[in-house]
Amino acid sequence: MSLIQRNEELTSLERVVLTLQRKEVDRIPAIPLVCGASYRVTGSRYDKWSQDAEIATQSLLAAQELIGQDAFLLLVDLSVEAADFGQELIFPKFSTAYPDFNNQYIKTAGEYDKIKKIDPRETKRMKQVVDTVRGLSEAKGNEVAIFGFVYGPLGVLSQIRGHKELFVDLIKHPEEVLGAVDVITDVLIEYAVAQIEAGAHSIVIDPLYSSGTVLRNTTWEKFEGPYLKRLADAIRAAGSAVAIHNCGGGVYFEEVIKWSDPVAISVAHPAHGAKDWEEHAKTWGDKIITIGYSDPAETGLVFTADEVLEDVKRQLDLFKKHNAGFILSSGCEFPPNGNLLNAAAMVEASRRYGRWSIK
Amino acid sequence: MSLNNQELFDKLAASIVDMDEDLTIELSNQVIAEGIDAYEAIVNGLTVGMNQAGKLFDEEEYFVPELLMCSDAMYSGLNILKPHIKINSHETRRKAVIGVIEGDTHDIGKNLVKIMLETGGYDIVDLGRDVSPATFVERAKAENAEFIFISTLMTTTMEGMNEVVEILVEEKIREDYKVLIGGGPVSQSYADKIGADGYAENAAEAVKLANNIVAAYGNEL
Repeated sequence: MSLIQRNEELTSLERVVLTLQRKEVDRIPAIPLVCGASYRVTGSRYDKWSQDAEIATQSLLAAQELIGQDAFLLLVDLSVEAADFGQELIFPKFSTAYPDFNNQYIKTAGEYDKIKKIDPRETKRMKQVVDTVRGLSEAKGNEVAIFGFVYGPLGVLSQIRGHKELFVDLIKHPEEVLGAVDVITDVLIEYAVAQIEAGAHSIVIDPLYSSGTVLRNTTWEKFEGPYLKRLADAIRAAGSAVAIHNCGGGVYFEEVIKWSDPVAISVAHPAHGAKDWEEHAKTWGDKIITIGYSDPAETGLVFTADEVLEDVKRQLDLFKKHNAGFILSSGCEFPPNGNLLNAAAMVEASRRYGRWSIK
Repeated sequence: MSLNNQELFDKLAASIVDMDEDLTIELSNQVIAEGIDAYEAIVNGLTVGMNQAGKLFDEEEYFVPELLMCSDAMYSGLNILKPHIKINSHETRRKAVIGVIEGDTHDIGKNLVKIMLETGGYDIVDLGRDVSPATFVERAKAENAEFIFISTLMTTTMEGMNEVVEILVEEKIREDYKVLIGGGPVSQSYADKIGADGYAENAAEAVKLANNIVAAYGNEL
């Protein structure tokens, strides 16, 4: 029984599912992407939270109790998959884990064949995420939506090879890169299916480089498009919904939809080609549910709670005006060191200003 | 500048835009072999090429991979030409330190800003990534820098930018430096909040911002 949350007409899970189906809801779902920040609710530490399924599960449950967001997102960090392929990581006590970029697992373009198939149900970090999904599902799987998370194959490879080195290899050694992306995709499919079997209602894929600020659209399609399709198809075949997250600037909506056919896309910035959110809502509002678009740093580190309410009201009013598919969220992970009351303010704003449905 | 020199500089610029590192090296060696002024080759060849690449990046003709390859070519040329620059051919260049704040190792953005600043005429001391706030200040003092450029891609490390400003205030040297910040989660309002002198959304904007500050403050910097 919740000590904090109010009773509402629909459960969070119902609210999210109905919104994704464009059916009537009591209010627009609110999902500030509170992931790592949850360690502070249970008084743990970031490095422990990100390496222990039980701590992660209890922290995510406690944070959801406190904040009331309508879904869990299993974004632990962008190095989960890379670590299991062999990349050494650094685990700061109070911040996100990251690869040791001075000791990349793939040091030269000739080493891409070091990427071998692994079983995500047996490896350390991916298994931990699967176990966390299972814990959340057992505790609240009937009430709160659970979004599993998979970093896109090209993103995983960039954590293993180094970002700059990979980008140069896309031009100089494309076949070697594609070979590794192919193997990684097979593993990610198993990882996604394992999360679904553990209770995830949807899997969020992050094809981070499908962004106009990083790669040309045709380059991204060549190196990740077909692999994203394989992954998305496998998720649907396993009975789950596909969602996309990409916090980069100018996400290639047309190409991402072409290759993954998601139910929703989570973004921090308007789609590629849209000059602002108004144009984004007009262009994409009847084609896809947009999940966004509070600026995480502003919301967590700069705004007062009143400013969060104002900011969210503007977003809700804009999407309502265009009858555009919308789930309120932070454009990227809520800052792990951010003001959690402001995450709660996002949910409160949805209760105050989000009482409408997409028609 | 002779016509032949100009042709060589044009070829140097084109080799950068074409991402042809081997040709950049060959042409840079030719500059030295023919006794052509190395500084002129940098300014009228390498820099022109990198500026063209930057323009193509702004126009979404080039993307990060292409820009990185252009910069690899440019640095290969610079490594050959720089040791041959005559001291008196230096114009007065503004000096800056640049780095990624402590706890963060994402440095592609920082490197792009560095490249564009260098081609824009600034002397850049690159402190690398995972740089402590105290190190930013120490090195800025040691290098007699006028600018401190700080980058981060992570919200968990943004607070380190604030610490740089706080150290400058504590040491009563805040007015001696212009602190400019950037990176994915950073915004103008965050710059305002911590008392930084400016925020730039991308590498090209960073150069414009620095140039505007130079224009506004001139010798007071």
